[in-house]
Amino acid sequence: MILARRGSAQDPSPVLRLGLLLALCALLSVVLMPWVWALLSSFKPRSEIMSTGFLPEVWHLGNYRDLFATTMYPRWLLNSVIVSVSAAMVGMVLCSTGGYAFAKFRFPGKTLLFWMVIASVSIPPFTTVIPLFGWMAKLGLLNTYLVLVLPFAASAFGLFMMRQYMSTLPDELIEAARIDGCGEFRLFLTVILPLSRPALGTVGILIFIASWNSFIWPLVFMRSEEMFTLPVGIAGLNSEQMAEYGLIMAAAVVSCLPMLLVFFAMQKQIIAGLTSGAVKG
Amino acid sequence: MPRRATGGDAPGRLRSRPGRRPASWRLRRALVPYLFLTPFFLLFGIFWAGPILASFAYSFTEWRGITAPEFVGLRNYADLFADERFYTALGNTLWMAALYVVLANLAGLSLALLLDAPWMPTRHLFRTAFFLPMTISMVVTAVIFQLIYAGDIGLLAKLLSVFGLEGPAWLRDPATAPLAIVAMRVWRTMGYYAIIYLAGLQAVSSDLKEAARLDGASEWQVIRHVILPGLKPVMLFCVILTTISALEMFDEPMVLTQGGPGDATLTAVMYVYQQGFQFLQLGYAAAASYVLTLVIVLISIAQKLWLGEKDR
Repeated sequence: MILARRGSAQDPSPVLRLGLLLALCALLSVVLMPWVWALLSSFKPRSEIMSTGFLPEVWHLGNYRDLFATTMYPRWLLNSVIVSVSAAMVGMVLCSTGGYAFAKFRFPGKTLLFWMVIASVSIPPFTTVIPLFGWMAKLGLLNTYLVLVLPFAASAFGLFMMRQYMSTLPDELIEAARIDGCGEFRLFLTVILPLSRPALGTVGILIFIASWNSFIWPLVFMRSEEMFTLPVGIAGLNSEQMAEYGLIMAAAVVSCLPMLLVFFAMQKQIIAGLTSGAVKG
Repeated sequence: MPRRATGGDAPGRLRSRPGRRPASWRLRRALVPYLFLTPFFLLFGIFWAGPILASFAYSFTEWRGITAPEFVGLRNYADLFADERFYTALGNTLWMAALYVVLANLAGLSLALLLDAPWMPTRHLFRTAFFLPMTISMVVTAVIFQLIYAGDIGLLAKLLSVFGLEGPAWLRDPATAPLAIVAMRVWRTMGYYAIIYLAGLQAVSSDLKEAARLDGASEWQVIRHVILPGLKPVMLFCVILTTISALEMFDEPMVLTQGGPGDATLTAVMYVYQQGFQFLQLGYAAAASYVLTLVIVLISIAQKLWLGEKDR
């Protein structure tokens, strides 16, 4: 048995291995438990949430019915979808055009502009929200989708990512297209964009996630209930006196679903996108 | 700087022979990158760069949003440094951030080392499962955890009561509330940092590891003397990222505790939010947010120097 092992120090003993694997599974169940709990609780009426049991006695759908019938949840869901999808779309346009300029052109001011974008990332969001709140109030733009879409579309991270990807495209290709008489804009649309599709998809998803999960922005800029996005709406339900936990859990479960769908459909891009920038050190 | 506010459109499509009309052609060529930059920088200027600079200017004014700002010199900063609640908020933030940075990095790194082990089955599945919490919004996470931490109806209390134990009211006790918030944050981000560390681990030369093992180094010695030094850059990245994100903590205490009990979980950003949007002291809030920015920048630089120096 011992002889069968090749790099002896490489593999810990089977007992230790089993122990570590079990520990990992235990940790995983701790990680998944809150969701299971939320799901279970969403099927419990108020009385059962207060009682000591873990599983619902009868799987009760009242919380979900109430969520859609008595709260503005459907409207918040719609708002979240509108805002996040538009931010992702506009963001893909902005980040790809901007990223292209940084990746494939030399021009005066390039370093300065790029440095500015990078520096902005480390400033806490509240520093920008304070003056914007005053300005938007004056312009009458509070409670509009615009204030939630545009800032997320101008994503520093997205720009950076597009630049990284586009700088790997061969210059010869661009030169060849220019020699063939291709206009700059058409070159971008027909040569550069199709080649950058993977990065573009990742940027779109990342902006979508950032916008979907954002709390500070809608909290500050959306002052009327029918313009709330999901996080603000759910936080509102939660802060009511006599919070209806079953209802809140139903709201939490339903708002996780779109995100989980997106995640499982595009797992690779999401993980690669969220962790990129790290390994280059 | 971008000069034209028209969206990026086609400059000269008819140009077929680049050699002709050099002067105007060159001008057009020189404008092309700026046209591509215009849409991004227009919005970036309005929503990020502009407000960041304006915020600094507003921090020297009294500004209540509707009326015009009025210059008051350094009064906001003087008031800020005289306010005990600001120190409480800053202290809470630093304490929770320190705890979070240590725990999140330890958890992420250990998880990554475990997942990187060559004998580990279904590594991919584990990786995905641990990453999942990161895709859910902080607010949703917080409301779910409310029903875990809650006094007698929470999952923790129910689990403890099975063993006949009684835990504290996690969120109502000033000693445990910050810990509960930090634990939730670690739960949410552990898998994310594990994946970053995992990528770093895979970049550490396997020849080096193999050589150390052949020389009879124990697994712990390999980790300590070969893997960890190779991970320095990734670790620096993770430490800085966890620090910045924790110093900007807002969503969790806002939803879970509203800063309570008795300001025990009031964070710096929450303080800024209250001053700015509940008391409408926008100038004062801008001053507070600039002090926080300064703290963040100084800490990031210190970490860079400290972790970078050991790199040699």
